[in-house]
Amino acid sequence: MHRSDRADIPASGIVVECRAVCKTFRQRQPSERPRDVLRNLLHPRFRTVEALRDVSFTVNRGEVVAYAGPNGAGKSTTIKLLSGMLAPTSGSVRVLGIDPVAERTRYVGRIGVVFGQRTELWWDHPVAASYEWKRVVWDIPRERFERMCGVAREILGVGETWNTLARELSLGQRMRADLGMAMLHEPEILFLDEPTLGLDVLAKRSMTRLVRQLSATGSVTVMVTSHDMNELEQLAGRVIFIESGSLAYDGDFAGLRREFGDLRRLVLETDDATAPTLPGAELVGSQGMRHEYRLRGAGADVAALLAGAGEQCRVLDVETHRAPIDEVIAGIYEHWGRQRPTGTA
Amino acid sequence: MAARLLRLWALYAYLDGMWIARDFRSFIFYYLADAVTAVASVAGVLLLAQRFDGIPPWTRDQVLFLLGFGMVARFVPDMMGNYNVLHISRRIGRGQLDHILVQPQPVWMALLTEGFAPFWGLLSLAPGVGLMVWAGQRMGLEATPSWLLAFALNLAGASAALMAYAALWGFAAFFQPRAAEEISGSAVDLLTDLKGFPLDALGPGLRTALLTVIPAGLMAWYPCRALLGLDHGIAALWVTPAAAVALCCAACLMFRMGMRRYAQVGSSRYTSFGHRR
Repeated sequence: MHRSDRADIPASGIVVECRAVCKTFRQRQPSERPRDVLRNLLHPRFRTVEALRDVSFTVNRGEVVAYAGPNGAGKSTTIKLLSGMLAPTSGSVRVLGIDPVAERTRYVGRIGVVFGQRTELWWDHPVAASYEWKRVVWDIPRERFERMCGVAREILGVGETWNTLARELSLGQRMRADLGMAMLHEPEILFLDEPTLGLDVLAKRSMTRLVRQLSATGSVTVMVTSHDMNELEQLAGRVIFIESGSLAYDGDFAGLRREFGDLRRLVLETDDATAPTLPGAELVGSQGMRHEYRLRGAGADVAALLAGAGEQCRVLDVETHRAPIDEVIAGIYEHWGRQRPTGTA
Repeated sequence: MAARLLRLWALYAYLDGMWIARDFRSFIFYYLADAVTAVASVAGVLLLAQRFDGIPPWTRDQVLFLLGFGMVARFVPDMMGNYNVLHISRRIGRGQLDHILVQPQPVWMALLTEGFAPFWGLLSLAPGVGLMVWAGQRMGLEATPSWLLAFALNLAGASAALMAYAALWGFAAFFQPRAAEEISGSAVDLLTDLKGFPLDALGPGLRTALLTVIPAGLMAWYPCRALLGLDHGIAALWVTPAAAVALCCAACLMFRMGMRRYAQVGSSRYTSFGHRR
């Protein structure tokens, strides 16, 4: 993708800047008791939910950042703040040097937003008509429009559904068409909120391919949220982890593994259906004479474990590999869940 | 800005045309159903006027003119506010305003243009115009340039009053998204159901209420009284446009308040149902 018509864009520097951002919401807490009906009407009770607490981070131009966290952690709230739909309760949000809410119309012409559970396509019209709608509303020059339509056809395979009504598209086709449409005006920043939700492997792969191609140019900054951590690890060089509205981790995936436990897997094939007991390794499961163990990557003495196993049975084969990132994340969520006081949102 | 508005209206007219003409069978049945609905909506008053040779102090032809005026005044908001824009409380209540907020244009501009559907309901326009022309000819109405100007002003005023009234109520959804999700539709129905009735026989209190709190009288009755000379004096010709301006100002004020609140609380609800035809 070339950007000859976007010469005003600096090649590097901070493009997203969140400083001490807090966002609170009031949540009604009606009583279920019949005698409280009047009180619910006249003096309803509210509780304050802190969706974001003192969140600060910056993102540089061209970075691909994964924004992750468990359900209700504040991911979508952050994306809404960054795309100009919501104002922070306190703190400041600047993207491309602009206040997204105060200067919304100028700002949103420079970003692209894709929500996995929503579509920007016109339901009863072919994909081509939605793209044409976008061209007019966003005032996209014809040359750029044609070029980006070409990219959407080539990388996302939108061409095959070009004349199909949006309501007749499968979820994967719809998401690809939506992502292609979000790219038509060549946004400087792309916010993707769970873009692969419910997609099959092939659809995910074409999404990933496009984001990688974008990041390769270095001119598009991407912030992507997802629950699929394996996919995020493939896409992004950096992950920001948010938990209960607070920033819990900001760094690369290798650092995340180091900080929260570099889990590894040890698989032994033995001559015995009974799994040998290995101190310091947790048995995950056995299939016939194949036994799988979970162990901490750093500090686990594999040679000693094998020697211990050798005393109990004959070891026929050995495999070790890094545990999927999802497992690391599950461990982190469980850890946070145990730490969180009961009743906290 | 005017050029952009025209470009957007042209775009939405194109989308509307494409939607109507998607296939021949839909095209025929769509217009047929619309024509039947349009005729049915005025049939009651029309038959009463026919049976009693008018509804005093309105002659039969004046009643026909009033009915035609009401149909056209109703068509304009439908033409300008399709795709749920006229029912703005649905958009807000269902969390669909976010779709507009990611467009690089003011929200008011999106709302003013996104619902433009000139082909939709075109057949409800034809009987309305036909009734007015026919009744005008029978009454020997002189369509002088100044009368035509007054007619256009009052028609625009009646249509704007309906849209502003629907919006005024609809913006309540900024504050109570769930409870007020369908409120602008109810507001439209309230005015539409009463638009075809001459209200002269009502007491002054009720008549005032039907020109202010529930301004159904502005949809056809009051402007037609002024246009057909039942109300003497030039001031009567300005009442409907002036009331429309007042309602639009109130709606704008409510809109600004609502948008300020939306920036703070956003929408925790989202349903794609009814989003973009």
